[in-house]
Amino acid sequence: MSRLVPFICCMYGRVTWRGLPLLTPLPPGLPRVLAVGKKDLVDFPVLNEDELEEQFVRGSGPGGQATNKTSNCVVLKHIPTGIVVKCHQTRSVDINRKRARDIMREKLDVVYKGELSEVVLKKKEAELRKHEKRKKANDNLERKRQFKEALAADSKPGSDTV
Amino acid sequence: MWRTSLRAGCRGCRGFGPKGIWGSHAVRRCSAPAPAPAPAPALPAGRITARQAVDVWKRHFEERGVTEPDNSSHYIIAHLLGAKTIESLEHGKLTEFLSREKTEQMWQLCTRRLSRMPVQYVIEEWDFRDLTLKMRPPVFIPRPETEELVELMLTDLEMEPGAKVGADGQRTCLEVGCGSGAISLSLLNSMPQLKSIAVDQSQDAVDLTRENALRLGLQDRLQVYCIDVLKDAETVVSLCSPVSALVSNPPYLFSEDMTSLEPEIFRFEDHAALDGGKDGLKVIKQILTVAPQILTNHGRVYLEVDPRHPPLIRRWVEANVEEMHYVETRHDINGRPRFCILQKKKSNKDHRLDQD
Repeated sequence: MSRLVPFICCMYGRVTWRGLPLLTPLPPGLPRVLAVGKKDLVDFPVLNEDELEEQFVRGSGPGGQATNKTSNCVVLKHIPTGIVVKCHQTRSVDINRKRARDIMREKLDVVYKGELSEVVLKKKEAELRKHEKRKKANDNLERKRQFKEALAADSKPGSDTV
Repeated sequence: MWRTSLRAGCRGCRGFGPKGIWGSHAVRRCSAPAPAPAPAPALPAGRITARQAVDVWKRHFEERGVTEPDNSSHYIIAHLLGAKTIESLEHGKLTEFLSREKTEQMWQLCTRRLSRMPVQYVIEEWDFRDLTLKMRPPVFIPRPETEELVELMLTDLEMEPGAKVGADGQRTCLEVGCGSGAISLSLLNSMPQLKSIAVDQSQDAVDLTRENALRLGLQDRLQVYCIDVLKDAETVVSLCSPVSALVSNPPYLFSEDMTSLEPEIFRFEDHAALDGGKDGLKVIKQILTVAPQILTNHGRVYLEVDPRHPPLIRRWVEANVEEMHYVETRHDINGRPRFCILQKKKSNKDHRLDQD
């Protein structure tokens, strides 16, 4: 199959992710947002290795025992979307390859799901929590203020004291 | 303190006493007289930042033709500042001033690198998959390709139940030529139900493997022996209870290719861990000859080899080791044929305990 698969075909043809059939419209709304956000990585796209091009800088040398290079940067390209991920976070090529794929999954998630991608959902969830926290704090302050006012009104001259 | 380390260059075939650069057991063969060690830049009088130290040494490495000048200085400074990579350093750490002690250590370590000592020996550690291992010359430094060997073995071992040997139902694996212990320890770390035996002809390697096993808390599931499989195959066979898997990254370079090795390898790593003889197959052939006596039926051999080897090994095994079947060749991340998988055919004359 040609590697130049148009973006739109790829979306409906070969990329799937667990739990969500691609062609069903996803109902919006708060409960779904929170539920999805709670489980990390569960709804990230599954990568198809056929669509990935991987490059590892090892020099033009023979490799294996004949080479000892410490460069272990991994470059991963997703051919249908053209997204490129570079990873040299660790000293292990193997781990860098795995991490590059994790980052690629996150990026593809944003591209495919847009508003409903994990990254965006998590952000929204965090903002929601922040908003609720602030509201709660303000409510508490308001209650305290009203209580103080009530106390002040009680202790004014003219009111009954026992 | 840092001045003494100027002696840490290659001095031909001499070690520096029992705890010298190469240890007491290494036998070195250098074809050219060792060059005089390059002078290091002067230790700065005032304070410098980590970033400045990196830049000074990167430039110096470049001027002296030291390969990977930026990676070298990056890994060394990261190690000194408690991180694995420069990217994982805390933000701002690089612009902080180094203490006097850290500056001297930076100078000491980088001076070692000036002598073309591999970074892994300079910082005395390196990572292999998710493990950090101690490194010490002349014990062979694990290569990234070998990480893939472990991956494909794990996939295989986890997929098929395979022959379970031993009263406790645990699976046993044998590694020939363990070096720093990378392969065995990585397998043990990923498979809690696995037991391993590792052998190496070098006492330095055996010591280092045991040390790494202890550091990782894996010593209870690993036995390490100093045995030369070329000279003493019978001991290997008798010591190892039937194993369901045999793995090796044996010396596989062609003898004629040894002299063109980069100084990092030629001057510092054990040549016996690299030189596989005229066709690079000396140790590989011995392993495959002995394998049927060690493996259970359907047990597998996993080898890392030179890219030219797979077809040669297939032909040789078909002609010379009737009990072994060549299963497949796998490629490494650079697309080179790198791994050979073979399997022991069921043998009617196998009297050892096996279930299949």
